[in-house]
Amino acid sequence: MKSVPMLSSAFLAPAGQSLPQPLLELRQQRGTALVDMPLPTRKTENWKYSSRYLQLTDAIAASLPVSDRIDTPLAKVPGYQVVIRNGVMVPSASTLPAVEGVTISRFADLSDEVASSLAERLDNTLDANAVQLARLNTARFEDGLYIRLAPEAVLDQPLFIIYETDASQSGSAYPRLYVEAGHHSQATIVEEFLSTGSEAALVNAVSEFTLADSAQITNVRLSADGESVQHIGATGARLQGHARFESHCVGFGGPLRRHDLQVRLEKPGAECLLNGAVVTQGRQHYDNHTTIEHIAPHCNSEENYRNIAAGQSHAIFRGRIHIHRDAQKSNGHMNNKNLLLSSGAEIDTKPELEIYADDVKCAHGATIGQLDEESLFYLVARGIPRREAQTLLTMAFINELIQQIPVAAVRDASLPRLNQFIDQTFEEA
Amino acid sequence: MLSIKNLHASVEGKQILNGLSLEIKAGEVHAIMGPNGSGKSTLSQVLAGNEAFEVTEGEVLMDGTNLLDKATEVRAQEGLFLAFQYPVEIPGVSNMQFLHTSVNALRKHRGEPELNAAEFIKLARETSKQVDLDPSFLKRGVNEGFSGGEKKRNEIMQALLLQPRLAILDETDSGLDIDALKVVSDGVNALRSADRAILMITHYQRLLNYIVPDFVHVLSEGKIIKSGGRELALELEERGYGWLGIKDDAETAS
Repeated sequence: MKSVPMLSSAFLAPAGQSLPQPLLELRQQRGTALVDMPLPTRKTENWKYSSRYLQLTDAIAASLPVSDRIDTPLAKVPGYQVVIRNGVMVPSASTLPAVEGVTISRFADLSDEVASSLAERLDNTLDANAVQLARLNTARFEDGLYIRLAPEAVLDQPLFIIYETDASQSGSAYPRLYVEAGHHSQATIVEEFLSTGSEAALVNAVSEFTLADSAQITNVRLSADGESVQHIGATGARLQGHARFESHCVGFGGPLRRHDLQVRLEKPGAECLLNGAVVTQGRQHYDNHTTIEHIAPHCNSEENYRNIAAGQSHAIFRGRIHIHRDAQKSNGHMNNKNLLLSSGAEIDTKPELEIYADDVKCAHGATIGQLDEESLFYLVARGIPRREAQTLLTMAFINELIQQIPVAAVRDASLPRLNQFIDQTFEEA
Repeated sequence: MLSIKNLHASVEGKQILNGLSLEIKAGEVHAIMGPNGSGKSTLSQVLAGNEAFEVTEGEVLMDGTNLLDKATEVRAQEGLFLAFQYPVEIPGVSNMQFLHTSVNALRKHRGEPELNAAEFIKLARETSKQVDLDPSFLKRGVNEGFSGGEKKRNEIMQALLLQPRLAILDETDSGLDIDALKVVSDGVNALRSADRAILMITHYQRLLNYIVPDFVHVLSEGKIIKSGGRELALELEERGYGWLGIKDDAETAS
């Protein structure tokens, strides 16, 4: 019998960076718990399509070096900006808001008292059984970003968090975000993942959001790491009464892209919108897993994910809505549409509804299709070159979701990138 | 301008066109009439370059060059325009984006500078007024949620915008009420010029009251069996297709 692969002990080396004592202790604790952690295999249900792309080698186990240097001047963003490089904040490249009630601190700067209270709450938005690897983030983070919105505080402009990974050498980075939104507070937080360099690297990113009554958080997540980077991400959100969490994910494929999104609607009136658009080509791989827990009655959830797979690539969507026994009058709506651009591409979709309450409205739909030949002919018959027409139609497929992103700068930046990416996929054809 | 010789074409293995020949000169307006299933729409699709149709014999020359060897987009760029019988709805692509891309593809082919967004919007607004379409339609998805009449007006609007050498109108009158028919006809008549040809494909002669053709041809079983002037259309209206020995299965076909 073949033995189960274990997490290499190289991943459990002690911290290099000084964190406040309570966070160091939490790291230590998580690290100890990960000794002998079995790694996901083909037989692990929620990793069955992705386990073989997960390469947790000793070379990748090393922490990527911390550096204040920014090689690539980042485009000026219209709003506030925090740059996180290899998992550690770069204050010199960051523009923080001076808005009443909004506190943004790096973990390294927290007092022991605040750090101690934070340490108790980290990981609480995520189901450890479903996202085992998120625990590796907690065992390894060198820094993190802690955002507190006081009750009724409103962040007037989007905050852009740019996570840049320098893969000019092999190693891993563990960016961490914790957002605590007080009641009636509002913020839009854009997370963008980028990388430079071409050595094998791992980004293991965890973002957590807690929303008190009537808080409103919009979270945009752009996943655009390079071809040598494996990206494993987890986002968790817990919502109190009448809170609203909006998530818009835009993902470009890579050797391994995995994102787990878990939302818990814990008090009546809470609602979420989860949108996701993914494009893959070549031999790329993208695996999205979402879970919405309807725990309290009278909560609403809406989810729309779309995948476009070209070449020999593989895109996966698994969406789960779990309506607990007491969650009467729940509204859940999940939709997953997929576009296959080549006969070699693969898309797997698995919508799951698990309903224990009897008075709920819950629906899901999933489709997989190809570009419509009739539409294509119509465009080409107007003189539009075939490749351009294919790109137009493919863009139309995800444009609907992109247009729902409530930050113009993100839409404006995403569309040409998606267009270029999609246009490339038709190059060979 | 267009010379069709002994054209044979099939779709899904079924032979539809059986030796169709037709000469169209610049400045002329031709009408092809015939019962359903006679091959009218097949002819328009073959000319436009729909790959679902296979040409098994014959040739088509446009301005002296072999049309059938050319890709669909090249035919359009060289001035062939097909007004579709059933214009497709394409949500997610705006009319604006579609038409702008199309106009610039043609301009690029002719070696003319492309129009920027402002120039294009000005042109598109003016043109849309010609067919009585509210310019706000530019922001909507291509034909998305359009009524039958709006779709046909959009087709003619595109013809006016693209100024083709040869415009083929496939059943442009179907589904139009009398007011819409007048608007569409005015649009088509505005296209008439000495260096342009128009080929109308229609089941009924009603449209020909508004767009008066120079020549009328009767298509049956994939061949033109009779040609004449506009009076032929009137005769067809009076006597039906039966006197030509054609079975008109129009009422039974969809």
